[in-house]
Amino acid sequence: MNKSAPPVIETRDLTKTYKGVQALRSLNLQVQKNSIFGFLGPNGAGKTTTIKLLLGLIRPTAGNATVFGMDIVKQSVDIRARVGYLPQEPHFYEYMTARQTLRFTARFFFKGPGKAIDDRVEEMLHMVDLADKADRPLKTFSGGERQRLGIAQAQVNYPDLLILDEPAASLDPIGRRDVLEVMSKLRKYTTIFYSTHILDDVQRVSDTVVILNKGQKAAEGPIEELLAGSEGVIYLISLKGDTEAALKQVGSQPWVSGIKTGEHGDETRWQVNVSDPQAAEAQLLKLLVNTPAVVTEFRRKQYELEDIFMQVIEGDQNVRQ
Amino acid sequence: MSGNRDFEMVSERGWRRGFNNLLNNELSRWWKTRMWWMQCLIWVGMIGFMLGAVMFGSPDFNLTDGVMFYTIFAGMFPAIAVIIIMQGVLVGEKKDGTAAWVMSKPAARPAFILSKLLANSLGVLGTMVVLPGVVAYVLFFIRMQIPLDPLRFLAALGVIFLNQLFYLTLTLLMGSLFNGRGPVIGIALAFLFLQQYLIGLLPGLRYLIPWTLVIPLNNEANAIVPSLLSGQPIFSYIPLIAVAVECILFVLVALWRFNREEF
Repeated sequence: MNKSAPPVIETRDLTKTYKGVQALRSLNLQVQKNSIFGFLGPNGAGKTTTIKLLLGLIRPTAGNATVFGMDIVKQSVDIRARVGYLPQEPHFYEYMTARQTLRFTARFFFKGPGKAIDDRVEEMLHMVDLADKADRPLKTFSGGERQRLGIAQAQVNYPDLLILDEPAASLDPIGRRDVLEVMSKLRKYTTIFYSTHILDDVQRVSDTVVILNKGQKAAEGPIEELLAGSEGVIYLISLKGDTEAALKQVGSQPWVSGIKTGEHGDETRWQVNVSDPQAAEAQLLKLLVNTPAVVTEFRRKQYELEDIFMQVIEGDQNVRQ
Repeated sequence: MSGNRDFEMVSERGWRRGFNNLLNNELSRWWKTRMWWMQCLIWVGMIGFMLGAVMFGSPDFNLTDGVMFYTIFAGMFPAIAVIIIMQGVLVGEKKDGTAAWVMSKPAARPAFILSKLLANSLGVLGTMVVLPGVVAYVLFFIRMQIPLDPLRFLAALGVIFLNQLFYLTLTLLMGSLFNGRGPVIGIALAFLFLQQYLIGLLPGLRYLIPWTLVIPLNNEANAIVPSLLSGQPIFSYIPLIAVAVECILFVLVALWRFNREEF
């Protein structure tokens, strides 16, 4: 991710209303060069609307946005010349073959030479494992094959920005893994802006994540920050035996902001909130070892993106609005 | 990205961006599929067979009868086919999502409309006007033993094409205004068949709508194509100008409307 370069995508109060219904409300985003930007949200959150606005397929009701510094309304065609786009449900001309589809797509960008275009088409067909089906009409293709063709056509022009709307939605686990690998490999050449509801994928490859809900940005941040959670750093500890002295000792530390205790069988379980993670990391376990209690479990709480996502969507938590 | 250095980049700008690629694709749909020979077979077969049957089946055949048959078969029936072919050109692509896919590429919206207009016009011209026209010319020559004036015949073909172009652009316009095939084909066909009735209500309309390009109204005002073929003076040039202007207007409105389309 290149933070010193101007943002590839920048939206300012971007808003879209369809027949009185606000699909997108005052969205402000900045997507940095060479980042993999995950765009999350439940169905109807406004993800596809945002993507269509960026591509000039629909017009904003209010606000504005730039891609590569170009206005999405006035310079839409110039923007698309540098973008590769995979729609959520790719629709191609059924009478064409995969090879013809890629050649047709490539010809929007390249005049020639024909040999170089054919080589690029062949390379893309191999990349998505469709080389043996290249000359079959698309009407015989399965959903997964269409999706793979969609990924190929989105990359045929060596885009500076790849916009993927649910790229792994109709792929099997191997296909999903392959797409994520391709995305990771492309990071050094291009910026990737993609929407998905597969949280595991986002956690694996994204640098930055935005969660949209009901047309509004509900959370945004680098993936590490989001995964750290907004409750701060928490240690989960299980103890046996006499824990009274340990509780007193730990509770007296200035970097401990709270301890929740509970019983589970013959164990005592603590949830320790700390205000200074470094101090806690260096001292907490040592303090416990020096007490009569026996430590049976000691770990720092790890958040999954799914936890964050559910908290945000259910309104239980406001992560960095 | 670095890979682009191996390529010669597309340099078209403005409304022409993507036009060549889109036009090649649209032309392929006409001329690299069975579409062209099926249309040729239908129109050469229908016009040639019907005209041949009239010419050679009746001993008291005369030029006026032949011209009348030809103008009706070459002017009226292909217009219905044009509407049927064109009704899905825009609506079909809007509904199945291919228009949105193409518009996500660096293609200008006018290029999308104009490529369809040009490719389909050339398809109609070749398969529904020129080829059946050549067959008709040969049949006239064989039956009459003297050739029709080739320049007037060419002019007649031009007027027949203008007639088809009217329905082509009208259907294109309807496709840009509506999202369902029903209104598109319904309005275009209704207009085609209601023209005679409309002219009955408002006689001045005969100068403004394409009916009088090919179909004679009464003994007072002959249609333009039969007049050209039979060597008579045409009753007015106004219908030619009016229909041509209407075609341009239909295209301009279609361009304006498609430019506002949201995918």
